[in-house]
Amino acid sequence: MVQYRLPMLPHPEEIEWTAEVNGAETTLHIENNAVLLDVLREKAGSLGTKRGCDMGTCGCCSVLIDGDPRLSCLTLASEADGTSITTVEGLSDGHHLHPIQQTFTEFGGSQCGFCTPGFLVVISALLSENSSPSDEEIKSAIEGNLCRCTGFQQIVDSVRAASDILVAGDRVEDSTSAKSDPHPGFGEEV
Amino acid sequence: MVGYKQQPGKLPFSKPGSGGKNSFSKPIEENMIPSSQGGKLKQPWGPHRHDSLVSGQVIGKDTALVDSNWKVTGQAHYGDDVRIKGELIGRIVRSPHHYARVISIDCSRALKLPGVVAVATGADANNKFGVLPVTKDEHAMAVDKVRHAGDLVACVAAEDEATAREAERLIEVEYEILDSIHDMRDGLKDSFEPIHDRGKYHIGESNVQKRVFQEFGDVSGMLSSSVASYKEDWVFAGVNHAFTEPHAVVAHWDPTGRLTLYTPQQVPHYVHRALADVLEIPMHQINVHRTFVGGGFGGKSDPFPHEMCAAILARKSGRPVRLTFDREEVYWVNRGRHPSRIEMNLHADEEGRICGIETDALIDGGAFASFGHVTTYYNGVLHTAPYEIGSFHYTGARVWTNKPASGAMRGHGAVNSRCAVEVGLDHLAEQLSVDPISLRLANLLPPHSSTITGFRVTSIGMRECLERVRQESGWTKKFRRLPLGKGIGVGCGFFISGSGLPIHWDPNKFPHATVHLKIDMDGGVTVHTGAAEIGQGSDTVVAQSVAEVLGLPLDMIRIKSRESDTSPVDLGSYSSRVTFMNANAAISAAMDIRNNLIDATAQITNSDKQGLVIGDRRIFQKSDPSVGVSYLEALHKAQEDRGALISSGAYRTPPMGKTHKGAAAGLAPAYSFSAYAAEVTVDVETGQINVEKVWAAHDCGKALNPLAVKGQIIGSCHMGMGQVLSEEMRYSRNGSLLNPDLLDYKIPSVHEMPEVTPIIVESNDPEGPFGAKEAGEGPLLPILPAVCNAVYDAIGVRPSELPLTPEKVFKLIEKRCKSEGILDPLHLSPPSLNYSDLQTTLENRASEHSTRDISRRLNEERSEYYNGALFGLDPSIPPDQSDPSWAVRVTPDQSYLDDPRLAGSAWKHTERRKRGEEK
Ligand code: FES
Ligand code: FES
Repeated sequence: MVQYRLPMLPHPEEIEWTAEVNGAETTLHIENNAVLLDVLREKAGSLGTKRGCDMGTCGCCSVLIDGDPRLSCLTLASEADGTSITTVEGLSDGHHLHPIQQTFTEFGGSQCGFCTPGFLVVISALLSENSSPSDEEIKSAIEGNLCRCTGFQQIVDSVRAASDILVAGDRVEDSTSAKSDPHPGFGEEV
Repeated sequence: MVGYKQQPGKLPFSKPGSGGKNSFSKPIEENMIPSSQGGKLKQPWGPHRHDSLVSGQVIGKDTALVDSNWKVTGQAHYGDDVRIKGELIGRIVRSPHHYARVISIDCSRALKLPGVVAVATGADANNKFGVLPVTKDEHAMAVDKVRHAGDLVACVAAEDEATAREAERLIEVEYEILDSIHDMRDGLKDSFEPIHDRGKYHIGESNVQKRVFQEFGDVSGMLSSSVASYKEDWVFAGVNHAFTEPHAVVAHWDPTGRLTLYTPQQVPHYVHRALADVLEIPMHQINVHRTFVGGGFGGKSDPFPHEMCAAILARKSGRPVRLTFDREEVYWVNRGRHPSRIEMNLHADEEGRICGIETDALIDGGAFASFGHVTTYYNGVLHTAPYEIGSFHYTGARVWTNKPASGAMRGHGAVNSRCAVEVGLDHLAEQLSVDPISLRLANLLPPHSSTITGFRVTSIGMRECLERVRQESGWTKKFRRLPLGKGIGVGCGFFISGSGLPIHWDPNKFPHATVHLKIDMDGGVTVHTGAAEIGQGSDTVVAQSVAEVLGLPLDMIRIKSRESDTSPVDLGSYSSRVTFMNANAAISAAMDIRNNLIDATAQITNSDKQGLVIGDRRIFQKSDPSVGVSYLEALHKAQEDRGALISSGAYRTPPMGKTHKGAAAGLAPAYSFSAYAAEVTVDVETGQINVEKVWAAHDCGKALNPLAVKGQIIGSCHMGMGQVLSEEMRYSRNGSLLNPDLLDYKIPSVHEMPEVTPIIVESNDPEGPFGAKEAGEGPLLPILPAVCNAVYDAIGVRPSELPLTPEKVFKLIEKRCKSEGILDPLHLSPPSLNYSDLQTTLENRASEHSTRDISRRLNEERSEYYNGALFGLDPSIPPDQSDPSWAVRVTPDQSYLDDPRLAGSAWKHTERRKRGEEK
């Protein structure tokens, strides 16, 4: 009854693997049968890329390879050698969230958040191709991603809102800017 | 600086800690302040005891979850994301047999494999555990027998995953295969080798884990007055939570010899207790660290054997151990909704009153007890409302079988039987030729009443839910008027908002929830709570409650809810208890600090405490808002001579309920109500169902965060849709689970989701925090019957088996065609409706009741109302006291046992102290 994941080769060879992960040139020594998801999580430090099923059914492990959404659990790392990979960690610049990240928080696109990284990278690819997608286009873009919490509706809402931000050319506020002052003035602001 | 007047726009000085920005405080938002406090917020359901605490900050506004930035940046760490230097990877050896005795385990080959550091078996942990103290029947690993395929036998820790998996294969186990049970009906019979030896008492030699009998009112008399009846034998498949994050755990014994267990848990406190039992160390030696939880829905609320395994391996190896499940293993631990066989009987009298409900529910518990004790009750008692009923009979039994254990899942125990009840009501309406919504509206319990089983119901927004759904869905134009293949249906729900008794009943009267607050000179509020944030927004709701009472923006509140070392005990995220209990505790903790701040302000401004109010980061006189101080000034004054402000608040349920056996099951400080209408399309030639639209009204008391409430409603819809249309744990004829993966276990994708219109009804619960009740589980209940009833409206067939796969639906269509002698299903006619005279009677009664309900909810002087008044009993006296023929029975008599129903036959066994003992 117990089925195993990809059979491990008895003596995999070590190979050198180079890719641009979230903008940074990354060279790693990996086993030649390694799966991209494992390499990203265990060696490239992208714990944001999630493992929900390991068999291509949930979409939690989605990453962008040269801009295209891919399931990293079904991709051999060696196939991605020399490519540019974007994970959820690469969507924001540390100050400004990507609009889809921001709207996911504001419109309820993320509840438990485990599926969120997968959705975000897939949607960011959609939005960079088409900044004002129709509902049908949104739905077909995320059809490979499962979410058990939100029922998808607020995810679609979030995409629409993000598209509004992108179309208007707005930017999300810097997250390191000052927060509420505990000693505020009172009355008309001058 | 006593008594100075702060001028608008002019500040005397800048306080240390302010960041020097001095942004202006917003004037109080009048639209958020209740009219009972002089604001503009309309309160159609009357005032609330927390009204005076409302500062207009956040309550009732769409609020982003406070931890969502961690999630959207990928920095939220779930179970498998915890990395500790020097970690080992753990794997579990699982049984390939359904039921077998473990003869021997040989680990020697595994231990010889380079890289294997530790191996453990059942011999390393003898103590039993389980989530309910009354039914501890699990071991970390098999001690004597394995009870289902996938049961734990041994575990291993190795340097890397490949080695651990290899070692898993090298552990040799010798089994003696025993006769396994897979059909729940077989669990009722005596067996040669019952799955569990329960030690102290036995129900014959059967596998009955729990049996319940309850009878209220004149059950035999009900049949004589009934003019319409519904009887159906329902079969519900088992379903799994299918959360996206597989279980994972990291155990680490630190250099001081304390254990930290990192685990995505809904109920960290019970794990804490179970770990202490299993490892035989005191609780204070353990720190349970709840990681982010990638979905729970009840499936991460038991203390799990793999958590014990990780701790045991870490202890043996002296190194941290990380153990993560494959998706398949998630199905082996399961704890999903029970597969059930429910016989539902409903009776209505000539006045359209529900004169009786008889339910018999047999539920398949799988191999372990889990929450089953409670589930067995919930299958019956949770459908005694929202309707006033003439009599109630329930027999329930939960049996052990050799399957992965069933447990608690969103809508715990109430979902299946609720579906049967609501479909039954639709059938009664059909027989009586009345509208099903009118039938329901004319039979509702009023607010502040007592159900037939003695539950105290406070606020009820059921009527509003039904009316809103009727209106928004365009019901009257659609019901029984849509063409063949299109239909609309309605369903209702009723659920507990927290359970009245904690699972670990405690003579010391510990609170159910506790919240600690700490504010130091920086002004930020640190909230310590043990409530488990599992994505539902519990951290947010606590932050909102504190922010509201203290008049602070949300960014000044920080929640620390992860570790048992620093968090006060909270019973966890189950029973939809968190908002109700934890926010109540948070409010009472914040009230303490609020009083400190007001006292300090009164001192500084030399004014009377009574006249001071809290607004946005400012405390001032209500009569002259320019007299006042900033939050930071008040705080620093209050800190004089004492340092940080610290407070603690707690919540405990009030005493309530009756005294018969099982009276506590289903008791809750408040109940939620919901009504859904669903519009479906059925392809009459293939049986394929598409749910097009859902109008989902839910009474959550008060939506503290409407965005999150809507998210819960839509999410519940999604999960319920899965159960009604496609989800099913399928077992082969020899009992093997066929679909332990997300491909064959089909949850709805974005394309299958209907357009859901969430409708929030706010009934302002008198005891809820700011009036709030639950919104996480109740909204799941109505979607199942709403879809079933819509299917009937579309094609005139009544399903009684879920999920409604095209195959099943088509068989029903075929059957109908045959019975009507129609060859082409396209020539079938959809059901039609001509109102009988009863319709007017019901409408009149509903409008009378509506007036009665409004006066009861607004008038504090209301009298008692016991279920039974609709049938002519005195509403102010409990029916068992006013009517001599009114029975309250919790064991069957001989006449019942002569001809019991399916689950009822569990009562044929005699209870005995020892196995095999003579009667
Ligand atoms: S982990 Fe890759 S699709 Fe599920
Ligand atoms: S937010 Fe939990 S699975 Fe999508």
